[in-house]
Amino acid sequence: MAENPIQPIHQFQITNYFTFGTIGGDGTDGSGIEIAFTNSALFMLLVVGLISSFLVFSTRGRGLVPGRLQLVSEMVYEFVADMVRSSAGSEGMRFFPFVFSLFTFILIANLFGMFPYFFTVTSHIVITATLALMVFLTVVIYGFMRNGLGFLKLFVPTGIPWYVMWLVVPIEFISFLSRPVSHSLRLFGNMLAGHIVLKVFGGMVVGLASIGFLGVLGSVLPLAMAVALTGLEFLVAGLQAFVFAVLTCVYINDAIHPGH
Amino acid sequence: MTPTRNRSETGDLAARIARARAERSDDADFEPRDGGAARGAGRGFRLASEFVAAIVVGALLGIGLDAIFGTTPWIAIVMVLLGFAAGVLNVVRAAQRMGSEGSGAEAPPAGERDE
Repeated sequence: MAENPIQPIHQFQITNYFTFGTIGGDGTDGSGIEIAFTNSALFMLLVVGLISSFLVFSTRGRGLVPGRLQLVSEMVYEFVADMVRSSAGSEGMRFFPFVFSLFTFILIANLFGMFPYFFTVTSHIVITATLALMVFLTVVIYGFMRNGLGFLKLFVPTGIPWYVMWLVVPIEFISFLSRPVSHSLRLFGNMLAGHIVLKVFGGMVVGLASIGFLGVLGSVLPLAMAVALTGLEFLVAGLQAFVFAVLTCVYINDAIHPGH
Repeated sequence: MTPTRNRSETGDLAARIARARAERSDDADFEPRDGGAARGAGRGFRLASEFVAAIVVGALLGIGLDAIFGTTPWIAIVMVLLGFAAGVLNVVRAAQRMGSEGSGAEAPPAGERDE
């Protein structure tokens, strides 16, 4: 960011800190896939470390009457547990650790991105697509494990006459396949767009202020916009983590109860 | 400032408890359930992504199947149309889900929802 302060895309650049080696390739330099410890990996580690250490530290006292920090942990637990129970039933509670991990990881990663100079892990589609595919594969594998071929009833709504079935089943199938796409694109798009817009308004302030006195006066407007957008981005960070977790619960519910 | 406030507050324990309860119930829905414009934009984006995702998936499926069977535009055309229908279906379902979240406090119990 140092060489070009008003370039809005630059904040998403991946930089390698050190490399572990390469996979594949024919042994020559530059071939194969490089496995490296990047700034993205560093921030993922920080996120996971923060969540784990906070939960362990805050519940260390195991007080019957919770302290402040323990109360926060318990509220997060209750919040996610209510969410899972209300949309996937008590049987869905076996996926509670999964949903809880997803929710806290996305929430803290989004909020980490709000610090200046921090890297936003969830603004890369590789990360969100991996998370969405994890949910998708969990639903497919658990659905077939639990229901056998009965899981395919998901594509066949009840009460449909046979002569429209050939039209409805492909539509349901495409709709099912589109879930991980929209699931990952939504989180990725929101975080990417929010950070770009924020950076563009921030860059406008710098650009205008360097023109002269009138420019400084004019730069008040984009500055006000940037302040307002920062508030909005905090809201989006929480909301997108919530939406991702709720949709995970809804999809898991389909794996448990595939009939319509 | 704090000592005087404390003295006046300790007078009525019931009032303090009631106020604490009210504050906590405010905290409880920190989820921006009624966040006005931001919530509306979030909903709009959610519906749009549901719609577009289905069309994209349909198109990719069609192009892939065409490449396998060598029937170039035909399966893609059909699959894009089906993807459009699936997108509408996605949007309708997402809107139903939002409606049930917005009107009632909780989603309908599992097993009864028509998804």
